[in-house]
Amino acid sequence: MSHFRYRVFPWARWSPRTRRRFVTGILFISPWALGFLLFTLYPMVSSLYTSFTIYHIKAPSEWVGLANYRQILHDKRFWIALYNTTYMVVIGVPSTLIGAFLCAILLNLKLKGQSVYRVIYFIPSIVPVVAASILWVWIYNTNNGILNTALRYIGIQGPSWLTDPHWAKPALIIMGWWGMGNTIVIYLSGLQDIPVTLLEAAELDGASWFQRLWHVVVPMVSPITLFNLILGVIDMFQYFTQAYIFATSQASYAVSSGRPLGAPLDSTLFYSIYLYYKAFINLKFGYASALAWILFVIILICTLVLMRVTEKWTFYGEEF
Amino acid sequence: MSKKWIVVAGLLIVAMLMGACAKAAPTPTPKPAPTQAPTTAPAKEESAFPKEMHVWVTWGDNPAQLQELFNKFGNAHNTKVIVNAPVDEDKVIAALSGSQPPDVLVLSGPDNVPTWVNEGLLLPLDDLIAKNNVDLNDIYEAMLAQGKYRGKIYALPWGSDTYALYWNKDLFEEAGLDPEHPPETLEELVSYAEKLTKVDDNGDIVQMGFVPDYAWSHIEQYAPMFGGYWISRDGTKVLLDSQPVIDALKWEQQFYTKYGPDKVLKFVSSLGDYASPQNGFMDGKIAMVVDGEWFMGPNFIRGLKPDLWYGVAPFPYPKDHPERKHTNTVGGTVVVIPAGVANPEASGKLLAWMMSPEVVAEEMCANYNLPSSKKAAQDPCFKQDEYFALFMELANDPNATTQVFTPASTEINTELSNIEEKVLHAGEDPVPLLKEAQQKLQPILDKANAGQ
Amino acid sequence: MALGTLNRNHHRLVPGRRVFTALLGHVVIWLIGAFFFIPILWMVFTAFKSPDDVFRTPPTLLPHSVKMVTINGQSYPLYEVTLPDGRVLRLARVHVHAGMATFVDPEHPEVVIKAKARYGKPVLEVHFHWENFVDAMYRSVRPGLHVNFWVYLKNSLIIAILSIIGTLVSSTPAAYGFAKIQWPGRDFVFIIVLSTMMLPFQVTMIPLFLIFTEVLHWGDTFLPLVVPTFFGSAFDIFLFRQFFKGIPDAITDAARIDGASEFQIFYRIVLPLSKPVLATITIFTFLWAWNDFLGPLLYLNNPEHFTLALGLQDFQGQRNVAWNLLMAASVVFTLPVIILFFFAQRAFIEGIKLSGVKG
Repeated sequence: MSHFRYRVFPWARWSPRTRRRFVTGILFISPWALGFLLFTLYPMVSSLYTSFTIYHIKAPSEWVGLANYRQILHDKRFWIALYNTTYMVVIGVPSTLIGAFLCAILLNLKLKGQSVYRVIYFIPSIVPVVAASILWVWIYNTNNGILNTALRYIGIQGPSWLTDPHWAKPALIIMGWWGMGNTIVIYLSGLQDIPVTLLEAAELDGASWFQRLWHVVVPMVSPITLFNLILGVIDMFQYFTQAYIFATSQASYAVSSGRPLGAPLDSTLFYSIYLYYKAFINLKFGYASALAWILFVIILICTLVLMRVTEKWTFYGEEF
Repeated sequence: MSKKWIVVAGLLIVAMLMGACAKAAPTPTPKPAPTQAPTTAPAKEESAFPKEMHVWVTWGDNPAQLQELFNKFGNAHNTKVIVNAPVDEDKVIAALSGSQPPDVLVLSGPDNVPTWVNEGLLLPLDDLIAKNNVDLNDIYEAMLAQGKYRGKIYALPWGSDTYALYWNKDLFEEAGLDPEHPPETLEELVSYAEKLTKVDDNGDIVQMGFVPDYAWSHIEQYAPMFGGYWISRDGTKVLLDSQPVIDALKWEQQFYTKYGPDKVLKFVSSLGDYASPQNGFMDGKIAMVVDGEWFMGPNFIRGLKPDLWYGVAPFPYPKDHPERKHTNTVGGTVVVIPAGVANPEASGKLLAWMMSPEVVAEEMCANYNLPSSKKAAQDPCFKQDEYFALFMELANDPNATTQVFTPASTEINTELSNIEEKVLHAGEDPVPLLKEAQQKLQPILDKANAGQ
Repeated sequence: MALGTLNRNHHRLVPGRRVFTALLGHVVIWLIGAFFFIPILWMVFTAFKSPDDVFRTPPTLLPHSVKMVTINGQSYPLYEVTLPDGRVLRLARVHVHAGMATFVDPEHPEVVIKAKARYGKPVLEVHFHWENFVDAMYRSVRPGLHVNFWVYLKNSLIIAILSIIGTLVSSTPAAYGFAKIQWPGRDFVFIIVLSTMMLPFQVTMIPLFLIFTEVLHWGDTFLPLVVPTFFGSAFDIFLFRQFFKGIPDAITDAARIDGASEFQIFYRIVLPLSKPVLATITIFTFLWAWNDFLGPLLYLNNPEHFTLALGLQDFQGQRNVAWNLLMAASVVFTLPVIILFFFAQRAFIEGIKLSGVKG
């Protein structure tokens, strides 16, 4: 018995200094830990339990074991939703990161008017999501929208963005780029943190602009890249708000309410949307909870893999 | 060392205690089986009104006008009625799961009623209706029918809708058709639509005669016109692969396949917002549409494009079935009372007040929906548009019908709308899709009817 | 030697090259900036449009309305009428019914022409509807309740400021604990922190809602929105941790050797060095609280408690949305944030210069 306790929580084997550091660590994180126990752990455990039941709101839930999970594996819509969401993660996240990094570099140049430029790049990310989504529906209008009109000027016939199943997701990704302002700001703070002496030294050593970028700047902001990448992946797997607004609000024909789920032709059926539908429209909370936990596991695995893989490349700024 | 150890241990114990306390409350307390809906609260004489009453409306049109309307009730009964509009599904479900739901809930349609009744979320209204002398005879039959489930009334209408064919007389004239003569049969509709569709030199459509799913689908109109529906009247059988549904979908499909679904979609996705003068019909780009009674009103044609020269006629019937003339499907806003309201008596009184002819008249005039009260329908404000009377006649016609809602309706209707999308927008054959859906959904409906 | 040559060349090439790089920089920023800016421009101009103008085809940036002319004291819309005989005239439309319109020459009011209404196209002129902003702000008013735009604003500010305080007070120590103290189990617990962001909110929503409303009775108050921020947020902890890790351990180790407690190191050394990220998180927390509408939507029932973000829902009807008013409201909603950001970014750049450690 005590042998087991030692392995899990080997308090007795720690040096006094380790014990002190452990307690100090716990104290520092105690507000978070308390909140976690009160507001997060209980709902998480509750939802895990629910996923093994057929949940009734005002009656006892029926335990069904893995039945929900088995049903999910046979659910065509689950696989479609997983595909659509993975598409957004694989294409949307890296493209946004690279774009934000490049924009931050631009906005960090010593030019006049940078404070105005920065505001302009940042404003779209604070426009209320409802207004932005509807704005972009009009931008994507096939004949009269700004985008296709601009493309017409350079001789390209733009697609029917939001009604073409091949272009609906790219359209949403482009709309996501529009809101990359907050990622740009985080990169900017990181760029500002790079010691000027480092860059000057590299320049004096004969490094070209590109070499300075690749060998000094990119490594120095790698903690931020890691941060944005992991957070981007976690967020994008749960992509919901914009798609929800498109699906339920009243805009042009392309997105009127009463639109079939995942229109056009299942291409915008995202995981969180399907989950919302199963929970609040079908009232199948057990099934929805199972969906949520499957997503949780997927995200957890992706995050751990990402952290392991990029840990080698992340540079935390001491030895150089 | 020991001091800090105690502090940490103490924190963990407190946290676990709080976690345990929190766990106790939301565990569902044992209640009667789901198929038995809860009855009204055992006679608790609540003669005084609560200090505050809450009315939630799922749509957000004109919250100020709604608040003003409900203030009349509040002032008359010395209570404060607070209107919350709009509210989303997740908020509604969360509130219905708790012990403080709104006193009255206004929904944009009765689709969810059976699902919610199955979960014990709604109060049957029969007793409250009787107690508060709500005159059911004053309510049009079709409108009343939508709120009935398993022999009880769970929802009362508060702004019903039905649909008819709008046609653009200018476009008719230009195409050489008699502007005063709308198509009477479905076959005529098809041939008129052909004359009214214009394609330019690039092969792009510049004008469509008829788009069967413009703005949103009307399969619930088309299927009855073809003689059936996709759920049996008694709510036990899924009839997705029945002939009327197949015929309806095939009839709709021809409008897309004749010109190519891509071209039609390109055309429709270039139109402006439904509620703007660039609406396809208002802008003279679509010659005929099926739409509801609100479309004539102050928020739409009369307000946005008053000079439009148009007419409204009952949706055409199949040439071989003149007995189906004037078939139309009535739906629309309904009012429900959540189970577990603090004061069912007060909610009942509020509900009865909402059903009174004066209130119905005022709200329907403002929102431009069909009044459910026959007395309210006499109000002069409904005479403003020459075609409003047509909608009222349709709603009162013997061939007026309602949709069938079941505890699995959300699944079934979603599946059907996805099938319709594939049929119209991707040109697929409806029969295999319907058969597949039929097989998948009948067991789901059976389970749902059994209380799962 | 080599360095000297470099310096001389450097001086000679620098002026022209600098100007060129600067110009190129501006051009690229403008090109990419157009992507960000043009939709904003569209949004702002839409705020000035009338409902029929928002989706006008072909689309125009500036707000237009039908030109009105006055005849005998009455105002009538001006149309460009193409008559069947080929004449194109500018006429005022005085009456229309059943597709037939009565047109009148504004110069010669006695000249009356009857023609099909569809022969006429409205003549447009630029017209800014400033009243949209007033109407948008007025939309929040409900008779009998103490609610208006300023109430929404006040509620939003209260929630935002409390959220900022809560976040800074709870997330920074937690991040310090994960970044600068070596304690056993630290990385495992940090994974748990991250994992709290991975479960979709829809499923924890109802249990959490029930805790707040049934157990704590915090329904229809700000508490469910603000109190959780005092218990740390995974996003902020993660970001602070990344920045704290960037502060060399040498500094903190030296302070430990000097006998400083962890809290002193945190408060006196690490925090002051973190001004940029503190400013960034302040801005982000403010923005998140300012824009959050899902939380207020779920927990607030009485319009008197609503926030501005929630107030934007007032424009969404059953079948129509008041676009022009929604855009106007969004402009009003976004403006204070833009101003805040504009000045805050100056502050944190100054903050970096003053901190003096780097460079």
